[in-house]
Amino acid sequence: MTQSGWVPVALSAMIEAGTSAGVVVDGAEIVVWRDISGKAHAWEDRCPHRGMKMSFGFVRGDHIACLYHGWEYDESGNCQYIPAHPDLEVPKSICISRYGVAETGGMIWAHVPLGSEAGAAPELAEAEGLRSLYVDASVAAVASALGSDVSGSMLTVSTADVALSIGVQPISDTQCALHVTVPMGTSVEEKNAVLDWCEALRRQVENSEAMA
Amino acid sequence: MILHNYDLYEDCYRVRLLASCTEQELELVNVDAFPGAEEKSETYLKLNPLGRLPILEDGDVILRDLAAILIYVAEKDAKARFIPTEAKARAAMFDWLGFACGDLSVATQARAVALLDAPGDGVALRAQARALFRVLDDHLTRQALSGQGYVAGDTATLADLALFPAFALSRDFNLDHDEFPALRLWARRMRTLPGFITMPGIPDYH
Repeated sequence: MTQSGWVPVALSAMIEAGTSAGVVVDGAEIVVWRDISGKAHAWEDRCPHRGMKMSFGFVRGDHIACLYHGWEYDESGNCQYIPAHPDLEVPKSICISRYGVAETGGMIWAHVPLGSEAGAAPELAEAEGLRSLYVDASVAAVASALGSDVSGSMLTVSTADVALSIGVQPISDTQCALHVTVPMGTSVEEKNAVLDWCEALRRQVENSEAMA
Repeated sequence: MILHNYDLYEDCYRVRLLASCTEQELELVNVDAFPGAEEKSETYLKLNPLGRLPILEDGDVILRDLAAILIYVAEKDAKARFIPTEAKARAAMFDWLGFACGDLSVATQARAVALLDAPGDGVALRAQARALFRVLDDHLTRQALSGQGYVAGDTATLADLALFPAFALSRDFNLDHDEFPALRLWARRMRTLPGFITMPGIPDYH
């Protein structure tokens, strides 16, 4: 049961130019990649040729190529080059579906589900990505442990005198990712304290899930 | 130096990777480990009664413990690149080398169960490997805060080289890289080391 809307899928800083990563939102596999110019993309994580995950592939300039047979796709998702048939003009029908994508609050966001009309992306204050915390528990279980409500895929929590803005990515009924950001200018000591808090939160939530 | 080698064993790759990054020649003797189990033949049991690979021979030195082999090869590096001399960094390096060669052997086993018909509880081994990857991801996240891109400092050490194969090959036992963002960035840096080489299961392009 996926609700339509913007979901944070990675910290901006963790997707370097020229790299890709696989993410999952409510069971849907998405490849997030950044081209050499720095622009972020979020696509269905599947090469139309043999179904290989595009997140296993590699970025070349403003194209992403499949690891399996090197089929190369441009930023509009159209296949531009098939190495086994270098002279072929690739039919327009060979393409990968794209998600609406945005960057705000130190995070990359995708608009789900695939094909939904993407409205204006949230506008969040500039923030520094600290870490993405993967937790074996539902979003609801994490929110309940924090005594906080999720609003617009965000949780706000204060710990160790730092006001955290946390982007919430539901992965499945039993897993979620928390993209933890801190205000610009947070000191290294404070960040280390927040990292302690993150690891403790993960243990606490997962232990109570194991007891349930 | 002679390495009794099986190309698909990650522990053999660990030695090949280190030799390549330290510009040292290895004479490879390929052993029919799978399906032949040649390392358990009479001839090989004389060399290593434990019946395992890798085995390193250098003159009258015969080594069969992974950490011992790696330290030996790293110490023969003319440019002494991968073992820090400063006490704290050196200790941190050995700490993570122990993690790589000891604790993380569950990842090696998980992969052997998935790919090479080895006995073992694949699901339990994979869960143990995942828990260890989290430990490493947490550590590298903290290292990044102090501007250190590697497990024991701001340059790659023997520990990083020993850790890399476990993560790079984890998809072989169905453990994806999605949940370990800090490991992903670190692995990308490792790929840029002079002399870096791959093995089957680790793509050349990145």
